[in-house]
Amino acid sequence: MTVVSGSDAPPRGGWFHGLSDLRLVLRQFRYEQLSFWLNPFGAMFTVVFSTVFLILIGSLAGQQTIGNGLGDIKQVQYYVPSFVAFGIMSSCFNILAISMVNRREMGLLKRLRLCPVPTWIVMAAIFLSSMFIALVQLVILLAVGRFGFSVHGPANIPAFALTVLVGMVVFTALGMAMSTLVPNMDSAGPVVSLIFFILVFLSGTYFYISPSSGLAKFAVYFPVRHLILALFASFQNEGVSPWAWHDLGVMAIWGVAGVIVALRRWRWAPRRG
Amino acid sequence: MAAVSVRNLAKSYGDKHAVRDVTFEVEKGEIFALLGPNGAGKTTTIEILEGFRERSGGDVKTLGVDPADRSTQRWLRSRIGVVLQELAVEPSYSVRQVLTRNAGYYPSPRPVDEVISLIGLEEKADDRIKKLSGGQQRRLDVGLGIIGNPELLFLDEPTTGLDPSGRRDSWDLIRHLSSAGTTVMLTTHYMDEVEALADRVAVLNHAEIVASGTPASIGGRDSGTVTIRFALPDGVSVADIPVHVQTVDDGLVSIRTEDELRVLHTLTGWALERDVILPGLSVSRISLEDIYLNLTRGAR
Repeated sequence: MTVVSGSDAPPRGGWFHGLSDLRLVLRQFRYEQLSFWLNPFGAMFTVVFSTVFLILIGSLAGQQTIGNGLGDIKQVQYYVPSFVAFGIMSSCFNILAISMVNRREMGLLKRLRLCPVPTWIVMAAIFLSSMFIALVQLVILLAVGRFGFSVHGPANIPAFALTVLVGMVVFTALGMAMSTLVPNMDSAGPVVSLIFFILVFLSGTYFYISPSSGLAKFAVYFPVRHLILALFASFQNEGVSPWAWHDLGVMAIWGVAGVIVALRRWRWAPRRG
Repeated sequence: MAAVSVRNLAKSYGDKHAVRDVTFEVEKGEIFALLGPNGAGKTTTIEILEGFRERSGGDVKTLGVDPADRSTQRWLRSRIGVVLQELAVEPSYSVRQVLTRNAGYYPSPRPVDEVISLIGLEEKADDRIKKLSGGQQRRLDVGLGIIGNPELLFLDEPTTGLDPSGRRDSWDLIRHLSSAGTTVMLTTHYMDEVEALADRVAVLNHAEIVASGTPASIGGRDSGTVTIRFALPDGVSVADIPVHVQTVDDGLVSIRTEDELRVLHTLTGWALERDVILPGLSVSRISLEDIYLNLTRGAR
């Protein structure tokens, strides 16, 4: 560990300054949150979007039953985990990817790069911030499910927690990769949101898809379907293992692919420059 | 030790040379300007010195360390300040919030209120950045460059987009920083900015340095031709003038010479003897802009 001092000799290897760097992560996280909530309309829209969808769809079709091989269950018991997945993906993929394109194209990443803040601190704070926003949505959705639709929370808390964690990490990686594929700010919102909404629609966020359907056979190639299924499994208290290792494995492969694309295509400077 | 030392710097992208065989030094406490047309390599050079971009060849030392050496980059970045060519500030923060955040990145930053005062944004300190005018945002950009109390400040076209009064304020700030010991390296398109600020200047063209020196001497400016002008006095013909006249345009006599002292002595001696005045007598050296245009001719 090296501490920057006033001496003339430059210290070497000074990318981790121990506790002071961890404090810097927390400080940077607070500024990330401040930046998010300083736009209250946008922030509330982001946070309550999934909740509004759950309330609308849950009210309209939630009491209908679906047969999922475990006996008939009410649709709303499927919608709560599926919208938790939606919340994770919207924060860690959709919002993150658009925000990273904007930061890059506005020159904010370049400026940060020129400050004496290590990359890992900047990235840790950004990731923690989008994960925190996902967690806020998750808590609201579980509360609405519990008190609005009498849907009990996850039956297996460790399996649910692991799935949420894997989902956040994987979709953060995919969000970062997505940001490197979008060339400018003008196209960031439309491109990322279009891909996001097509995937969540086809993967069965808004309606239950039978595993034997053609749509399900197509959707299993993408990570969204697996996050929904893994969360749904953690909500079940009988007949199915809450530990959806296959789904988590497929998501992990997508996550690794996201990391590779993000690292290979990453740039700090605007693409227009 | 020089604040910046560059020897045979090269940067290329495939066959295209962005910078080629560039050599110069910037002394501590100096204001050094890089001039050149768009695409000449100014920003590339500065970004290499900042450690933002990697070079293809040559030796570079910024504050005594290689800016590409990752093991000393954090130390280096705590001692340099950078003002980017384009605005790069989050619009939702207030002026004070963004300066306070960035101050926390540095080991010994300037007090935030001092920076707000230096950039003249006291009355806007708690306003959202998106509500500031373009000139005020540019000043905030400068504030972010100096918040870390840098030994070396890079300014990439710092006054582009500012009104005349804003430019003068920025010049005053740069002079103030320089007088307090900060080394300043700037790029600019404005010749008056170079003349007002720079101790030394280098001109980049087609990726290479084509001239360097002080603003008063670059390109042979101090030893070159001067132009002596005056209005032709009443009752005097051009043939009466005792030195060679190049042109008479609408009654304005122009004499170009490299021997200004002798020509002026002859001319004024003759005028005193004849008891005539030489209306509007002026002596002008070739302008920095003329030198610059000569050096970069054919750049576009």
